Amino acid sequence: MLFSWDYLLNGFVTAFSLQNLLWAFIGCMIGTLIGVLPGIGPSSGIAILLPLTAVLPPTSAIIMMAAIYYGAMYGGSTTAIVVNIPGEASSVPTCLDGYAMAKQGRAGPALGISAISSFVAGTLGIVGLTFFAPALANFALAFGPPEYFSLMFMGLTLVISLSGRALLKGIISMAIGLLASLIGQNPLTGAARLTFGSIELMAGINFVSVIIGLFAIAEVMVDVEEEVKAINMTEVRDVFPTWADIRQCIGAMLRSTGIGFFMGLLPGCAPSVTTFVAYDVEKRVSKHPERFGHGAIEGVAAPEGANNATSSAGFVPLFSFGLPTAPSMAVLLGGLLMYGLQPGPMLFKQNPNFVWAVIASMYIGNVMCLVLNLPLVGMWARIAVIPFPVLGPIIVICSLIGTYSIRFLAFDVWVAIIFGVIGYFMRKLGYPIAPMVLATVLAQMLETSLQQSLLISQGSPTIFITRPISAVFIGLAILSLVRGIWKQMKSHAPEIAEEDES
Amino acid sequence: MRTQRSADIAGGCFLALLGLVTLLAASQITGGLEERLPPRTLPYTVGVIILISGVLLAIRSWRFRGEDPVIKWPDRRGTIRVLITLVSLGIYLALMEPLGLPLSTFLYVSFTVWYLGKYRIWYPLLIGFLSGSISYLVFIYLLELSFPPGPFLTP
Repeated sequence: MLFSWDYLLNGFVTAFSLQNLLWAFIGCMIGTLIGVLPGIGPSSGIAILLPLTAVLPPTSAIIMMAAIYYGAMYGGSTTAIVVNIPGEASSVPTCLDGYAMAKQGRAGPALGISAISSFVAGTLGIVGLTFFAPALANFALAFGPPEYFSLMFMGLTLVISLSGRALLKGIISMAIGLLASLIGQNPLTGAARLTFGSIELMAGINFVSVIIGLFAIAEVMVDVEEEVKAINMTEVRDVFPTWADIRQCIGAMLRSTGIGFFMGLLPGCAPSVTTFVAYDVEKRVSKHPERFGHGAIEGVAAPEGANNATSSAGFVPLFSFGLPTAPSMAVLLGGLLMYGLQPGPMLFKQNPNFVWAVIASMYIGNVMCLVLNLPLVGMWARIAVIPFPVLGPIIVICSLIGTYSIRFLAFDVWVAIIFGVIGYFMRKLGYPIAPMVLATVLAQMLETSLQQSLLISQGSPTIFITRPISAVFIGLAILSLVRGIWKQMKSHAPEIAEEDES
Repeated sequence: MRTQRSADIAGGCFLALLGLVTLLAASQITGGLEERLPPRTLPYTVGVIILISGVLLAIRSWRFRGEDPVIKWPDRRGTIRVLITLVSLGIYLALMEPLGLPLSTFLYVSFTVWYLGKYRIWYPLLIGFLSGSISYLVFIYLLELSFPPGPFLTP
């Protein structure tokens, strides 16, 4: 049994230690801050802090990084409501009714319902994680290297096929991510690959440099183009919504939790996708759909609930199979690997204290986020209007320091800057970034499981279709690619990715 | 490269070239050929994927005749801002070893805050001073990470 109430209880005991409470609180603070600030997303935030957490014990470090992720989901709505600038792409639907409410002098209740909905959906999502993750991990005990290879392959193809109309660009993005990871010594044979005689390249390209470049530096470069200095802010009063407001939103909160959680289990279904679906569903089921876009409070509750439920759901495949469903999850996976922890069923078996402490800390973290976001919302709204000329250089400094501290090599920082330029052009030219990030993080595991599978089958690739679970994954991967090709053939538009980084 | 179509044709050609270079580089990989998965197999595969996808992207874009969106490239002013930001990053990195983390951070932050925000000089200097001091206190003094402290400070 991979789940027992004792495990969960022990998890709470560990999570309630002073040290872990402190790091969960710091994670929630940083996450909310990252969510509030439009120039930086959870992937960049976690990637920047990843090398710096090396001084912490693994449990505290992952508790903090997980808190950054779900904390960012809380913070993203603040700027969306107060200044009509979504802190994250997932908060775009929140702007529609949140800002309309703010213009009607109801910014406070909009922020309040956003925090409450985030809390309800986030907590229900963690309940789902508590019971789903061990059940799936139990199922994954039957997996061998061929199943893992097929699963990772399926994850990559799903992310590619879901990156909008840009199938070819998704494939290219994935291939370049794999290419970057192949540089250096082959971990299995020690042979030098694609190093062109360079000693620096022999050590390989660290995925943290790639992620920091693609997200943090590229984002700053895009923001530098525009000279945004001052942002007008609407006044925030009375953040506690009335009982009538809450009653009106209960249905929206529950529906968005279901949508966000179940869609969030699938690779490629980032919060930005699920929030739009939840908003659309809410508008369809409403008796007064004409109110949507003009300050309907359910229009704030639905997307905010969905993004938090999705963020909790993302941990299910990550913990059960070691499969990241979104870039932020890929960075978290990198964090786990950095600590020598291999997600999957063995994580539940060999490190139950760790995994249950992280899950328990998420219940506590959600309460912390609620407390941070209800009474302190005025403070977060003021932080959101820090001018970019001050914020941009500080983000860059944090990124570069984070990159340098991985191996204390200036080479890693140059790699981050180069990938920053690559990320900038990818954004401009409509290439999806998620496949590149996932490929960079998964490359080594993909190659190892492929090698082991071929060893088992004595070199025959049919092993991937003769084993039933693996065959199902390969089948789904082919289906998702065929669907992508079909969509592409039907579309008479140029290839432009539609995605976000969370 | 003003429109999506022309940018995708150019991008496709560039990627096809990158695929070719990858294939050539992969052919130079030696050793481990007796393995079930020789070390050159994946680089070869990736090279082929990039080459074929690049060619397909260029052909698909070349044949595309629909509405062609204009890419939002920065204007001259925006381009200069991006370039100066990148060059100052390179200089920051080059100065980190001889001047140390705190001093190079002070110089970089002061300059970029002044350049991007056009504030009165005391304000960027104050932000730069705070950033440099915090970088020393947090990363060198508290976390004891191996950043160069520079000629004026001892770790």
